[in-house]
Amino acid sequence: MAMEQDEILRTPAVWHPGDAREAWRLKEAFGPAGVYVAGGTLLRTQWEAGVAEPPAHLIDLTAIAGAGEVEMDGEEAALGALVPLSVCRSHPAILARYPLLAEAARVIAAPSVRNLATIGGNVVSRVGDALPALLALSAQLVWQAGPEPHACSLADWLERERRAPTPASGVLVQIRLPVPPDDTTSNAARFFAYHKVGRREAFMPSLVTVALTGRIGADGAVEEIRVAAGGGQTVPYRLDASEAALRGQTPDGKTLAAFQACVEEEYEPKPDLFATEAYRKRAAANLAAAAVWQAARDAAAGRKG
Amino acid sequence: MIDRTEARRASGDALACEINGDAVTVRVPPSKRLLSVLRDDLGLTGTKRSCEIGRCGACMVLADGKPVNACLTMAYQCEGKRITTIEGLSKGGLHPVQQAFLEEGGYQCGYCTPGMIISVTALLREQPSPTADQIEEALSGNLCRCTGYGGILRSVQRAIDLTKEAQP
Amino acid sequence: MLLNRTTSGSRWRTRPDGPGKVTGGLSYLTDLSLPGMLHGLVLRSPHPHAAIVSIDASKAMALPGVLAVLTYADVPGLNRFGIARPDQPVFCEDRVRYIGDAVAAVAAETPEIAVLALRAIEVAYEPLPVVDDPERALLPDSPLVHPEGNVLHRNDYRTADVAPGFAAAAHIVEETYVTPRQMHTYMETEGGLFVPEADGRLAVYSATQHGFMDRMQLARILGRPEADIRVVSSPIGGSFGGKDELNVQPYGALLALATGKPVKVHHSRWESVRAGLKRHPMKIRMKTGVDANGRLLAHEVEIVADKGPYATLGAEVLNFAVEHVIGPYRYDAVDVKSVNVYTNNGMSGEFRGFGGNQAIFALEGQMDRLADKLGMDPWAFRRLNLRKTDDAGPLGQPIAVTAGASQVWEALAESELWRSGTGRGSAGSGPGIGATGGKSAGHDGSGEEGIGLAAARVEAKTASDRGQATAGTPAPPWIRRGVGASFVMHGAGLGVGIPDPAGGRLRLAADGKIDAVFGYEEFGQGLIASLEQMLIEQFGFAAEDVRIVIGDTDVVPDSGSSTASRSTSMMWQSLRRLRGPFAGKLIAAASAALAMPADRLRVGAGGIRDADGGELLLPYAALAAATAKAPVIAETRFEFPRSPVDRVGAHFLYTYSAVAVAVEVNLLTGRVRVADQYHTVAAGPVVNPQGFLGQIEGGSGMALGFSLTEDAVMSGGHYLTENLDTYLIPTVAELGGTFEVEPIETLPEGDEYGPRGIGEVGSVGLAPAIASAVYRAVGKRVNRLPIDPALLQETDGWY
Repeated sequence: MAMEQDEILRTPAVWHPGDAREAWRLKEAFGPAGVYVAGGTLLRTQWEAGVAEPPAHLIDLTAIAGAGEVEMDGEEAALGALVPLSVCRSHPAILARYPLLAEAARVIAAPSVRNLATIGGNVVSRVGDALPALLALSAQLVWQAGPEPHACSLADWLERERRAPTPASGVLVQIRLPVPPDDTTSNAARFFAYHKVGRREAFMPSLVTVALTGRIGADGAVEEIRVAAGGGQTVPYRLDASEAALRGQTPDGKTLAAFQACVEEEYEPKPDLFATEAYRKRAAANLAAAAVWQAARDAAAGRKG
Repeated sequence: MIDRTEARRASGDALACEINGDAVTVRVPPSKRLLSVLRDDLGLTGTKRSCEIGRCGACMVLADGKPVNACLTMAYQCEGKRITTIEGLSKGGLHPVQQAFLEEGGYQCGYCTPGMIISVTALLREQPSPTADQIEEALSGNLCRCTGYGGILRSVQRAIDLTKEAQP
Repeated sequence: MLLNRTTSGSRWRTRPDGPGKVTGGLSYLTDLSLPGMLHGLVLRSPHPHAAIVSIDASKAMALPGVLAVLTYADVPGLNRFGIARPDQPVFCEDRVRYIGDAVAAVAAETPEIAVLALRAIEVAYEPLPVVDDPERALLPDSPLVHPEGNVLHRNDYRTADVAPGFAAAAHIVEETYVTPRQMHTYMETEGGLFVPEADGRLAVYSATQHGFMDRMQLARILGRPEADIRVVSSPIGGSFGGKDELNVQPYGALLALATGKPVKVHHSRWESVRAGLKRHPMKIRMKTGVDANGRLLAHEVEIVADKGPYATLGAEVLNFAVEHVIGPYRYDAVDVKSVNVYTNNGMSGEFRGFGGNQAIFALEGQMDRLADKLGMDPWAFRRLNLRKTDDAGPLGQPIAVTAGASQVWEALAESELWRSGTGRGSAGSGPGIGATGGKSAGHDGSGEEGIGLAAARVEAKTASDRGQATAGTPAPPWIRRGVGASFVMHGAGLGVGIPDPAGGRLRLAADGKIDAVFGYEEFGQGLIASLEQMLIEQFGFAAEDVRIVIGDTDVVPDSGSSTASRSTSMMWQSLRRLRGPFAGKLIAAASAALAMPADRLRVGAGGIRDADGGELLLPYAALAAATAKAPVIAETRFEFPRSPVDRVGAHFLYTYSAVAVAVEVNLLTGRVRVADQYHTVAAGPVVNPQGFLGQIEGGSGMALGFSLTEDAVMSGGHYLTENLDTYLIPTVAELGGTFEVEPIETLPEGDEYGPRGIGEVGSVGLAPAIASAVYRAVGKRVNRLPIDPALLQETDGWY
């Protein structure tokens, strides 16, 4: 009896692997008794709510060399999975090159939580609010799920998870983003928009998240458009059909209405007790269309000025 | 079998860090939340327990100068760090932010106040002349049920002035 | 004149409890601990409704480190509590009626062992059908929550048959208003330290709004004389009505006595959610008719309230709602029926506003809709039907006469916010495509904008570009603005039929301090500061002369509960009664000590001073020494002013308020944002400017949550919003606009009652004002709170 009680009262052992391979091997050794921990914010919330029990072993990922680094070169950006969301919010290079990601980070949780929570933790939740932004930015993921790391596209991984969620045994190591093209010489106007709708103005779980990037050409037509949506328990994805409906079009009342209808049709959010599917669909469609409307006006104003 | 020569394991029980300027070593399990270490092991009850899931900010402390929720932070995450609690802010006399809250009446029941003051202190260290948007973002994680935030925002404005006066 | 630090001048003081609060030095009762203390936990029912078949605590008792496991068999006295009617089990015997019902409690050496002990208690339940809808609970075939039926209380009030009025009416509005289950969400949850003393007494350090009531209830439960129990009850990290009733005290007390050791109990937020009180959800059906000129003819109301399983102050809340669905207007005929219904949902009880929030949301909604049908300005419509100064109260009872109603009506009509909002159009016209609903008060220049102008960028939802127009920057076409207003008449005190004692004591202590001893509690409302301010301003003491003593039943007199916006009023009344006697005794004693005539002396800062020159003649410490054999003391006891009628719950003192609010509706998401607010409050003299402002601002924050973000959602008797990640109270981001408070202090000549209470009124008027503003913005009526954004969302027409 006393031993059982001791067993139950024992708190997790915490391990600090120095590289991703070591982390993966620990997880292989511990099996379900071992849990990766990044910032720990989601885990602690689950333990307090009684949704999960503290495990026997915590595998702390923050000691992995380079896991918290932001690296940029001419080809791509590599964000270590352990980069805190606060860094995504305010890192000068991220603000300059990927303002969409910085904006997503700005509306996730609150500053103190963002100082602990990581971009990797947000990704592996499969429903993190950073995901629509990362999808619109064509992110790649680098995993350590064996002796060697391997990469895959975020979109592919999320699509697999959407169809059949599986617990990943691998460690997410890095998120890679292609460098956006240099448009300074063209007459095209780049735009981006990120919206998160909740049940109050700040610090809330999302009902709907929508991320857009694109380019309006000198002739006013949409040269490039990417739309990704998520929110609540919806695993995010790119809205390919909606993108196709708008690509090459000039945003006027008719094309915007068609685009809006497409988004409403294509976005399939999971309802919950706080908002219906219909409300979420309409919000996503409205916000996406409004973003394009705004971008077109800004582009027109830019051309005149 | 785990090859113990490869993996580094946190020494089971001891957390060594700096709290309010003093070196502290305390025997706690590595996953124990900082909130409990502060309140129960160290008797520092200025940091408050309220929602326990990082959604209210009553437990806010500074870790290496950055605001974190002590209910979400585990002992092993504090190893070697400089922790500042509300008690630490007034070690050498009232901090300008505390002074500002007193003058403007930026509190009522006072239970959210330690966390609120920690957040404002962190904001002004980072940004001595914050815009309204920056103030709003910085305080978005601190809930107050009593004041409607009016007195708090006035205290922030006063704190901006007092902080500048303190560092000419 | 607007109330702020500048206009308050030297009356704006630093609160005496401020330094402890900003340094973290103040210990709340949940911060206390003692060496060797045990940790107490309560086992609560997993079922909303079930029969208890058996309870087996043996395995829990056998766990190492567990010192007590208690059930109903271990209650020495009455196994029940409840302020008005003790019907709630301390420990359930054979039935559980909500998921907060307590079945057992443990005390263990560590919190972890206490959790294990709870898990080891084996309770066998037989689930019973759950009663989760108050209207269905009234049907004859409903399962019963209590053997005597599902009705706690009915309250009907009728002045005349309403049929003739409806028959003659030119316009009738019939609507049903639905208000949510709101949670107090005090930042400090329930808890405390319970200490068995060496002399056999029990010291209870646990928050409450009425220490003496807790002492009486605990004495009854423990089967001990009240004198054996000491309740220390302040300071408190927020209460708002939620900590008036007992919560953890029975368990802490029983565990401490059973183990002979100090026991600490401190609710987690989930424990607080499941076991704690909430605002009564209400469904209020109103049918109101007017003649062609706009005069109110007939007003028919049915209120159905969801009580949860036990009484607490449910009857009192219902009575208050009945009075306030009638409110400040004159009708030819009024017919109100109300019922508070038992269910297996969460417990409903006392909550700031006390039924007035729900009632006035409905009443003001009717007034707005009627004005609309008449094509009248909604504020003018109210004036037409507003009570006259000498009118009786809402229940026909004599009330203290003031001109408060017309004062706040006028102040709001004159306010910049209201004038700017109504400048652009008549009620009900709703903006067309492209119009943004008018100017937002407080900003220069920018006004109506249509499509075609560059607007703020979409992507960032910061204050500057959320659509809120700053000077010169137009808002996007999907943002609609509107200004609305509401009128509030809110009663203070407990009303007829409920003991409403008041009183206090002043004493010159041996150390020279002036002890001001009152049985009130400080839960943030600034009671200590207000008392200090009154002592300084009314007696001439310096702040350092005064020591305020509250929150300890061993020391303080029973001043009644700190509730119902009564404390400041009653302190003011007490000091008025005490000033003559106490100052007189001080001067008489000084006169003897100084061998000087009394008329050359006056009470002042630091001591007795020369009445002419003001020099300090005798410090209080010296006066105390001189009166050591017969200490100077004055005490008063009286009752809160009461209307001389029999109608239970009828009030006598009222506070009047009018609220104007500007809102922005985002058509893309249907979300409502509050921009600017104006509150005018007629409550007699402002006792403590900082406190007054804080109470109106803070109350309004709660009302904003009530209107837009808060709902403690239940399904089948289970809470679905378990913590603050899903139960959303306003953040700083909801409340970014301007906020103006204009107190109206004038009272009629000869008014003896002094300042009226303002602790609740700030929380009452904003919700109907928001609903009114939303209508002006988008032409849609809201009759359910929190406002569902899906109702206001538009899918086309904004571009």
